[in-house]
Amino acid sequence: MPADAILSVRGLFKRFGGLQALAGIDFDVAEGDVFGVIGPNGAGKTTLFSCLVGSLAPTSGEIVFRGRRIEGMPNHAVVKRGIVRTHQIVRPFREMTVTENVAIGAHFGGGHRRGSDASRRVRDVLERTGLAHRASALAGTLTLGELKRLEIARALATEPKVICLDEVMGGLNPSEIQGAMSLIRAIRDSGVTILMIEHHVHAVAGVSNRILVLNFGEKIAEGTPQTVLKDMAVIAAYLGDDATTSRGDE
Amino acid sequence: MRIVKAVLWAATAIFALAAPLFLERGTLNDLWNLAFAVILAAAWNLLGGFAGQVSLGYSAFLGIGAYTTVLLSLRGIDSFLTLPLGALIAAVFSIVIGLPAFRLRGPYFTIATIGVGEAVRVCASTVEFTGGSSGIRMPAGSFDFNKNYFSMVVLAIFVVALAAWVKRSAFGHALAAIKQDIEAAEALGVNSTRFKLLAHALSAALVAIAGGLYAINFQYIAPGSVFDFRLSLSIVLMPIVGGVGTIAGPVFGALIFSTLQIKLLSIPALRDSYLFIYGGLLILVMLYEPKGLVGLGRRLSALLSRAVASKTGKEARDAG
Repeated sequence: MPADAILSVRGLFKRFGGLQALAGIDFDVAEGDVFGVIGPNGAGKTTLFSCLVGSLAPTSGEIVFRGRRIEGMPNHAVVKRGIVRTHQIVRPFREMTVTENVAIGAHFGGGHRRGSDASRRVRDVLERTGLAHRASALAGTLTLGELKRLEIARALATEPKVICLDEVMGGLNPSEIQGAMSLIRAIRDSGVTILMIEHHVHAVAGVSNRILVLNFGEKIAEGTPQTVLKDMAVIAAYLGDDATTSRGDE
Repeated sequence: MRIVKAVLWAATAIFALAAPLFLERGTLNDLWNLAFAVILAAAWNLLGGFAGQVSLGYSAFLGIGAYTTVLLSLRGIDSFLTLPLGALIAAVFSIVIGLPAFRLRGPYFTIATIGVGEAVRVCASTVEFTGGSSGIRMPAGSFDFNKNYFSMVVLAIFVVALAAWVKRSAFGHALAAIKQDIEAAEALGVNSTRFKLLAHALSAALVAIAGGLYAINFQYIAPGSVFDFRLSLSIVLMPIVGGVGTIAGPVFGALIFSTLQIKLLSIPALRDSYLFIYGGLLILVMLYEPKGLVGLGRRLSALLSRAVASKTGKEARDAG
């Protein structure tokens, strides 16, 4: 296990009955990384995130976060330790305002903030994610682009060390994607380590410094964006395009 | 608008507290009954309304409170001093059943609570020290209706005020998050099990105190009265008809319910028909106004203000 790894995964398995969703994954994420996770639909990317944050318990394997084993811990406890995820299909609290949504993260995440301290944190996060002008809107009235930002804002309000972004660019138009990429860079520059699942392979290559490729629950490549994209061309030549490309990349 | 609401709440509370000065005993009895209903509805609303966990087992807590008070009073303890103990036992019991039951979601949780309520009733009617199915009587002694009345009204005011405070607190926001999307709440660090248990224990304790006060005033309790499933049903119906998850809803629901019940109970042939009428109201609420009477009121006031706005707008145009 490398000394500078903030998050290490060893031999991670997840089975759903007869389905092998994750078949022994190993990887390390260094502090400050933007770590991309790509692969076709059904490759196990979201399952991997669910295991990392504890919303699913892995069948076997180790997850070490800042020197402590966290696999099998409940989701809320993992969040308080500093790993948070966003949802690919956005899950806002629709009957709450944007501010109230973000306040849940500020109150119950790693920061345990209350009162004016929490309000300040919420305002700061809304400012950074470009949602300040929608602060008092009901979450149910937001556009998809805004809802994706709300997912990120709520997660940031928990004051994570590691944030797992699950397809925050899916369904966005090109200018919104530009905005999302600069937001991701700003999060990285604020000192938060990022794991990101993305269908837009070129978007991932543009912001990440390492990439993990999954297919049918197995790791088929890992490395810098340049080497992985080159590897993928090789793999595609042997296994066919299905193994390396995905619909968002078409 | 907020000041108007605060004044209305304060006026209602003062009226209820001052009522013995100018109302006769019969009406006070009805008000006592209303205060009792308000406590049950508003306390249930803490878990069922705020956190969306619909329990049909609340008669268990009411009965635990009532039996604790009678059994300890029979052993010579001052009946009002037994109330905190009843609350504590009910709270502990709520956690014991909550730990497994809260693993279930939605209707499965509700079904489990029906089972718990019935199991407790059957136990109380078979065990010897509770007096079995024929029930038990409070020890003969001091009976002071005014004291009973004030206790019930003060508790009702306290429960409504507590609900208003909870709704604005971080605790209340956690419950709202759990109600709207429990997985998203967990993903932001909300320990949903802990908050559900806390809301359950709090509402169970309040309902148990109301049960104790009920026993003190009625002097006689039986499994068929305090552990009755129809009671659990009424406790759920009141806040839903009034407006689930709101502060005023349980109060309105309790008002309608206790009025209906009192009017219909006086006609022997219609003794149980209040549940029938309430069932009908429940269907109407679920079909047309999920937020109950409070939602209906909000909709009407929105319509009214829009009508006024369009009218003044038209007048302004006509004048211009």
